[in-house]
Amino acid sequence: MKVTFPHFGNTFFAAKAAFDGLGIDYAVPPLCNKEALEIGSYYSPEEMCLPFKIMIGNYIQGIKEGADTVLTTGSCGPCRFGEYCELQMDILKKLGYDVDFIVFDAPKAIGKEEFLRRVSLISNASSKSNNEQIEAALNGLKVINLIDDIEKIAHIKCGYEINKGESKKILNSCKREIYSINNPEEVVKRLHEYKRKIKSVPIDLNKKPITVGIVGEIYTIAEPFSNLYIEDKLMDYGVCIKRKLSPSWWVKNTIMSAINMQSLDIRLASRKYLPLYIGGHGRECVGETVLSKREGCDGVIQIFPLGCMPEIVSKSILPTVSKDLNMPVMTLIVDEMTGETGYMTRIEAFLDLLERRKSNNVLSWS
Amino acid sequence: MKVGIPRALLYYKYNPFFETFYSELGCEIIESPETNKVILDYASKYCVDEACLPIKIFHGHVYYLKDKCDMILVPRIMRVNDKEYICPKFCGLPEMIENSIYDLPPITKTPIYANNKEKLLRWANREGGNITKNKIKIKRAFDNALREQEKYTCGVNDEGYKTKVVLAGHPYSVNDSFLNMNVIKKLNNLGIGVITEEFVSKDDINYEVDKLFKRPFWTFTKDTYGSTVYLADNRKVDGIVYVSSFGCGIDSVLIELIKNNVGDFPFLILKVDEHTGEVGFNTRIEAFSDMLLRRKLS
Repeated sequence: MKVTFPHFGNTFFAAKAAFDGLGIDYAVPPLCNKEALEIGSYYSPEEMCLPFKIMIGNYIQGIKEGADTVLTTGSCGPCRFGEYCELQMDILKKLGYDVDFIVFDAPKAIGKEEFLRRVSLISNASSKSNNEQIEAALNGLKVINLIDDIEKIAHIKCGYEINKGESKKILNSCKREIYSINNPEEVVKRLHEYKRKIKSVPIDLNKKPITVGIVGEIYTIAEPFSNLYIEDKLMDYGVCIKRKLSPSWWVKNTIMSAINMQSLDIRLASRKYLPLYIGGHGRECVGETVLSKREGCDGVIQIFPLGCMPEIVSKSILPTVSKDLNMPVMTLIVDEMTGETGYMTRIEAFLDLLERRKSNNVLSWS
Repeated sequence: MKVGIPRALLYYKYNPFFETFYSELGCEIIESPETNKVILDYASKYCVDEACLPIKIFHGHVYYLKDKCDMILVPRIMRVNDKEYICPKFCGLPEMIENSIYDLPPITKTPIYANNKEKLLRWANREGGNITKNKIKIKRAFDNALREQEKYTCGVNDEGYKTKVVLAGHPYSVNDSFLNMNVIKKLNNLGIGVITEEFVSKDDINYEVDKLFKRPFWTFTKDTYGSTVYLADNRKVDGIVYVSSFGCGIDSVLIELIKNNVGDFPFLILKVDEHTGEVGFNTRIEAFSDMLLRRKLS
């Protein structure tokens, strides 16, 4: 068995560490790229949302590297993501690829036994003992938490750093280095070192950078390729970024939702505007916009793929939130046709707006 | 008290329930007219751009009603069957309305879980409580409303046509003749009869749906998929006509599912949005009917 999986932000570091620990053969598809998107949009239904298309590209590129099993997660609605696996299986079958799908759905929906059966498909392929398998899974969890932490720190420090671009450089070299290590313990150790390193980046607290909150659909904000590397661009401008939704957040949220204790702050914050879960991360998007203001953001950017149903609901709510909180909100919609230049112009114009609001004087040139 | 009921979305399926319920409580019912050009103009003006046409039309109907009544029914239907949903936009419908149209009278926001009677009664008590404090009256109105709803059937099953197609799509696209540009009449004029999903039994639907890897969690996906594939596989119809609104997330999955499972079977997808021109629409239906005719002759 050789496993492949779709990319989703930094998850491949964790998956890699976990599979290394389990001793299962795997093929990490090339990082999301233009070719993956091209393959994906060629074979996917036209009106499907962007994550589906990129994932199809990932699978096919992974299969070309020798994978015969696809590992993915599912959900049970009401957002489209839950139906992905069904269509993706059909598409790959039609293309003549003989692959097995292992879909991790919520135990609530498919029954505990079926869930355990699917987990056992993975654990049976590993020759390690049960304890070692649990350790491997925990290592994966540690890796995803650490890398997301490092990213979060870098996103704040990039506004205050004295040597411009230092935190971005550290973040990038960290990612490059741990990708080349095949020993999970070593990866965790290196990540701890990098965390210390990024914490010790010298900063100038007299700087008053703009802070932007990023909210929206989780895949398009956590997978940098799908949002045309907006975070890298903002870091280059020396803008602080606050983004709560990340793979590690998702893991925590999924576990906590079993006892209905997930993201209480978001639920409280969104109560006035959207008191119910509507699927996807529509409620989180609204709640986070409210929280961003409290955390001192100057503006919020919402990103979602074209046609995303829950985010359309939150998009219609955000103007009211923006008016109530007196904070600008911009919505960016991405799909396979998004042109980079127009996209950049909008981001730059938005940053200009935030800068002028911050200086309190529209006509000040100083 | 005047209660406004917008003639859009699931009005076409659950109208008897809401109408009986509110009139039994002593309210005057004001229904918006059938969708027309004016309502469509309101729709595209007062709704978020990315929404699909049926949701936009609902906004148009609410805008039409807003100065004519004291309360507007905006049903937040979460589910009608266990473990199934309608669509994320239905779950957030009152919020969408509230934040897109200003100066609204009060709207109903209580979620409707119509998968069991107790939960539905909870909705009735909550919303009825705003009108009367008399619990017995609410219960009586609720029971009568359910009875009226059970008596009601919608859908079309034409007899006496040589060719027959299944008209698939969400109930609100199939039944709103402005939205689908009178597609039923157009097909009938070409000598094609129409059957809709309501005339396929639950067992047949479930039989088809159980063949899937994962049971769809959208009620309309399940019904439309099951009935269409059943009718097509058993050759009870000669073709499939699917009315789909542009940008519908559910249709993007559903159409693909049907396509994958009916094989080489005539399948016409009519995409509608607020810019759809009627002439191109007619041409496509005529071409499809010609094709069906030739298949019959050969």
